[in-house]
Amino acid sequence: MRKLSPAMALMTPLLMAGALTPVRAADMTFERALNAISKEPQNWLLYYGNYQGYRFSPLGEINTDNVKNLKPVFAVALGGLQSGGRYAFGNLEGTPIVEDGMMYVTDGWGSVYAIDVSSGTKGDIKWKFDPGIDRAWAGDVACCGVNNRGVALWKDRVISIALDGRMFAVNKATGEKVWERKIADPALGETITMAPLVVRDLAIVGPAGGEFGIRGFIDATDLNTGQQAWRTYTIPGTGEPGNDTWKDGADRWKHGGGSVWETATYDPQTDTIYQGIGNAGADWDPQYRPGDNKWAASVLALNPADGKIKWGFQYTPNDPFDFDEISEHPIIDAKVNGKERKLVVHAARNGFFYALDRTNGAFVGGKQYVDKLNWTTGLDPETGLPANYDPKSGVQVYSPGTHGMRGEPLATVCPSHFGAKNWEPTAYNPTLNTLYIPSIEGCDGIETVAQKDFVDQGGTVKPRDRFSGGAFKMTGRLYGSLKAIDPTTGDVKAAVRLDFPNYAGALATAGNLVFLGQADGIFAAYDAKTLNKVWSFSVGTGINAPAISYSVNGKQYIAVLAGSRQSPFVMQSDPSVKYSSTTSMLFVFGL
Amino acid sequence: MDVRFALRFSLALALIAATIASVRAQNVQSDTQNAEAARVIAHGKDIFKTKATCQFCHKWDASGDQGYGGNALSLRATRLTPAQVAETVKCGRPGTGMPYHDQFAYTDKRCYGVTREQLGKDMPPEPNAFLNSDEIDAVVKYLFATDVGRGPSTYEDCVAFWGTETRQCEPMKQ
Repeated sequence: MRKLSPAMALMTPLLMAGALTPVRAADMTFERALNAISKEPQNWLLYYGNYQGYRFSPLGEINTDNVKNLKPVFAVALGGLQSGGRYAFGNLEGTPIVEDGMMYVTDGWGSVYAIDVSSGTKGDIKWKFDPGIDRAWAGDVACCGVNNRGVALWKDRVISIALDGRMFAVNKATGEKVWERKIADPALGETITMAPLVVRDLAIVGPAGGEFGIRGFIDATDLNTGQQAWRTYTIPGTGEPGNDTWKDGADRWKHGGGSVWETATYDPQTDTIYQGIGNAGADWDPQYRPGDNKWAASVLALNPADGKIKWGFQYTPNDPFDFDEISEHPIIDAKVNGKERKLVVHAARNGFFYALDRTNGAFVGGKQYVDKLNWTTGLDPETGLPANYDPKSGVQVYSPGTHGMRGEPLATVCPSHFGAKNWEPTAYNPTLNTLYIPSIEGCDGIETVAQKDFVDQGGTVKPRDRFSGGAFKMTGRLYGSLKAIDPTTGDVKAAVRLDFPNYAGALATAGNLVFLGQADGIFAAYDAKTLNKVWSFSVGTGINAPAISYSVNGKQYIAVLAGSRQSPFVMQSDPSVKYSSTTSMLFVFGL
Repeated sequence: MDVRFALRFSLALALIAATIASVRAQNVQSDTQNAEAARVIAHGKDIFKTKATCQFCHKWDASGDQGYGGNALSLRATRLTPAQVAETVKCGRPGTGMPYHDQFAYTDKRCYGVTREQLGKDMPPEPNAFLNSDEIDAVVKYLFATDVGRGPSTYEDCVAFWGTETRQCEPMKQ
């Protein structure tokens, strides 16, 4: 073995710590992913920063004392603004991945950009991989925008997805495609918008399409072969546990929804992934699908090796609101009532914060976190089910007038059907044991329309047709809030009211800051303890994406994608954003 | 040649030439009008498809839809007149998800005699894009040329809307 010179011996740990930018990044391994935060604080290697879903950067150079000096240091224009299907442009909702001075981001149409950010003064696009989507075909069955939430790294490849349901393995150094695999099928109303979760050699994703009559699934690709490793349907089939919760007698589970469109968290301790599951189809006609409709509006704990379901917990049985619970399920070890618990927690779309025992799915505690909630009177302290859930009833009648029923189609629900929190992820500061929830506050209307059957079940609804049993109806302006809660009690420690409903996720840092973007283009930092706004910068266009933090040559940066325009329904009657335009930009900030 | 005959012949020729010129002019005028009408309809389609993204709620064939576009009505089955459709595009439908598209609607009483303040929570949503009166005229002409009063859309209708560069119409091909 060649002996290192004293100078090289000194340099090696610095290189390993990323203090200097290596010429070529090492292969991404499971080991590196497991220790993403502790051993590589300078990088942002995973979608949530770590497998546990924290969106927490251990970097503290930028902190509450000096954040007032934070300024934009460079920006990069991206693409993906083309129209397609029902949409006039693509949005940016992605989380950048940063590895040793190289950043990997996606635009709404799934193009991947490898950007050299090592200079700290400029972002150089080294390559761009365009998946070449049939935009009309995919965009016509995207329920809620043209979105792509980011990539994953594996070995010397970038793993990405496209709205049209394909997954790609791309050479990390050159941007050349190695293989692609068709996972979801727009012919069935399936699309993919989520960033893949890579555990060992498997990439795990699922399809959106809960408004188009899909049957949801979680799918693993063997990255060594580009072939399917397993697929687990989120809506159980005949003979599978839970299929008996579809009591319509007409096999409507076959179009039962249960979409999957946000990345799962992974617990190395129990070797389990926790995947949030979307709404039942048809959304707003619960009488179409009597029964609890498992596993819609649920979380599933699965074995990542074979996709076997370990347990499930359903938040809103027979969901009549469109309260899909696809969003993140952070993993926290904490003392609850004097006892050490292994928790998986969730700020649910239905307005409650939940803590579950992640070894068995048992309900540990729950509490309302949204300002206004009218659809139930609380949670059963034993089961965690809605207090007015009736196990004997096929069709749940939650608080009357909060969801449409046939014959009484109009209702007003709080939180709105968009949820108290939609997909936009929380951030968790483990030092402060505080979870930051970017929420959507307010109410909206539901108008139920009796759902017609699919053609394969004797009806008239064709694949790719909308399948939602009615619609929502805005009844006033929504607003937002950022709430700091104790995840062991659900108690709100601090809260700040925001002018706009949140559609971008949060970032927490060791500098005791929380970063959050808003629909009016304000990108702000809040004191992690008080939630006082301590810094902001206007990017001049809507922000729909969560920020990340990384460092190069020892200097910390904050990066966020900016480019969105909310739908008219969301921004109803808000004069301040009605002339806003979208764009497609990466902004990077530093001291 | 007889002078009178020559004169008559010349006059006849002149008359024929004038007639041909006149017909040609009429044809040119008619062609111009047709081209202008086609241009307006194509412009209307672009607004329906992309600029105002009317199809997000009403579906590409204007047959109406549900879900994240609201319970949007079928324009194929509508009994509204062109003027009524134009007014709906301009002013939206208070109390529903149909947006207004006249930038100054409800700043005065041009729409249904009411203002934003008077409508309160029934104020229609903001649009994807504001449209001027020529654009509203174009989108109405497009709808009445293509969709209003028609039966279920066909594969040919689909190709006319989306083109052949997409798989979009394949499911209708059978």
